[in-house]
Amino acid sequence: MSLFFDLLSGSMMITGLVFFVGTVTGMLRFPDFYTRMHAGGKGDTLSTILILLGAAIHVFEDFFYDPLQWGVLLVMVKILAIAAFIMLTSPTSTHALMRAGFEDAHEADETVVDKDQDGPSLEELQSGTWEERS
Amino acid sequence: MIWQLDLILLIFLVITALISLRVRDLLGASMVFGIYSFLICLLWAGMGAVDVAFTEAAVGAGVSTVILVATVYHTRRVTGGHKRASGMKLLSLLLMLVLGGVLLHASGDFPALGDPTSPANNHPVAQYYIEGSYQDTKVPNLVTSVLADYRGYDTLFETVVVFVAGIGILAVIGVPTARMRREEVCGDTAQFGEDSDLIILQTCRLVVPVLQLFALYVIAHGHHSPGGGFQGGVLFGASYILLALSGGLREALRRLSESMSFRLAACGIVIYAGFGLLCMALGSSFLDYAILDSILPGGVAKARSHSMLIVEAGVGFTVTTILFVIYANLATRGKLEGGL
Repeated sequence: MSLFFDLLSGSMMITGLVFFVGTVTGMLRFPDFYTRMHAGGKGDTLSTILILLGAAIHVFEDFFYDPLQWGVLLVMVKILAIAAFIMLTSPTSTHALMRAGFEDAHEADETVVDKDQDGPSLEELQSGTWEERS
Repeated sequence: MIWQLDLILLIFLVITALISLRVRDLLGASMVFGIYSFLICLLWAGMGAVDVAFTEAAVGAGVSTVILVATVYHTRRVTGGHKRASGMKLLSLLLMLVLGGVLLHASGDFPALGDPTSPANNHPVAQYYIEGSYQDTKVPNLVTSVLADYRGYDTLFETVVVFVAGIGILAVIGVPTARMRREEVCGDTAQFGEDSDLIILQTCRLVVPVLQLFALYVIAHGHHSPGGGFQGGVLFGASYILLALSGGLREALRRLSESMSFRLAACGIVIYAGFGLLCMALGSSFLDYAILDSILPGGVAKARSHSMLIVEAGVGFTVTTILFVIYANLATRGKLEGGL
């Protein structure tokens, strides 16, 4: 059973690290502001939560073998609270940054713009000149 | 403590310090400075100074970054373009190199971290705190008992320093006429966060109450875990700053106006100093809580513990309100209108 907990928490942490590598790669390699923020927002949130969950499971193991250790359970609850907090705030801060970039008229890279699309271009949206066609 | 981790953190610390000096864009520099603060916070946590790390995370990495950004927003964003180093700069560089060399040389004589035979650990006062603190005050967290009881004077004047900082900022950039006008503006009932983004607004509405509750927990639980008046106060102040950032400064000021802030800040100091005076009135010396045994329940040690809680609450009042006032004034150039 101990092996089960170790494997579970270890694999979660390692998966989190893998996503972190993806996040960093995306932040460095993606062509423009919006795609970089996309990588940062998604990868960062998921990997942080995964690592925190791994830590929570690792702590829970102690409680599992000795249910009288209420303090340990409290630590786990605190870690889970941090995870919930990250899940709420990290995407929001990414959104805020993205929004600020949008209002600051950051340009999108032409390789990621879908030219065949019927909708408005980014510039039209930013300047507010686009009106929905009926 | 893992020395490899410390080494990595230290290297990053030096790198971020150099970057924050080199970057021309002041906004970027203040953000790098936030990272620097956070790295220092990790180092302190690694050394076991968790209370200090907590304060650094809340003040250095959190609020001071916001305050720096607010300042940069109203001043120039790029530093002046001196392409070539002037003589004065070279002189100061030379002085810094000499000073740094001396400090580096002297650091070799430091006792090792956690060395039990070092003078700091051998001093009878430190010995007394470590051995007698719990019997004296029934507070498990040594830092709190030293901060709020044994060295209560220091903390009282630290709180006064925070208060004076708030007054100083008001004196330098406060605009009296606009201030009076604003009192009328605040009378109308504008909707909370009319022109802000829905997602940010709702998240902040969810987070702010939790943050404030956590701040109260940090103040009250400082006896048992890292935390106390300063850390809790900073968190509480940060919750108002978050409110101002998401829903507009006017809404935050409607909940905690500037005049009310200063009243509460003064209240905090009055609570602290008044508690000291109460001890004098009962026939002991200033801030000697043991005498309060006759008023507070639970014996001499518990009386000291309870007094610490009240004193920490006073510190919390002052820190909370002064931080918010500093932000509100810096973000609006003292006009208290508009904001970031």
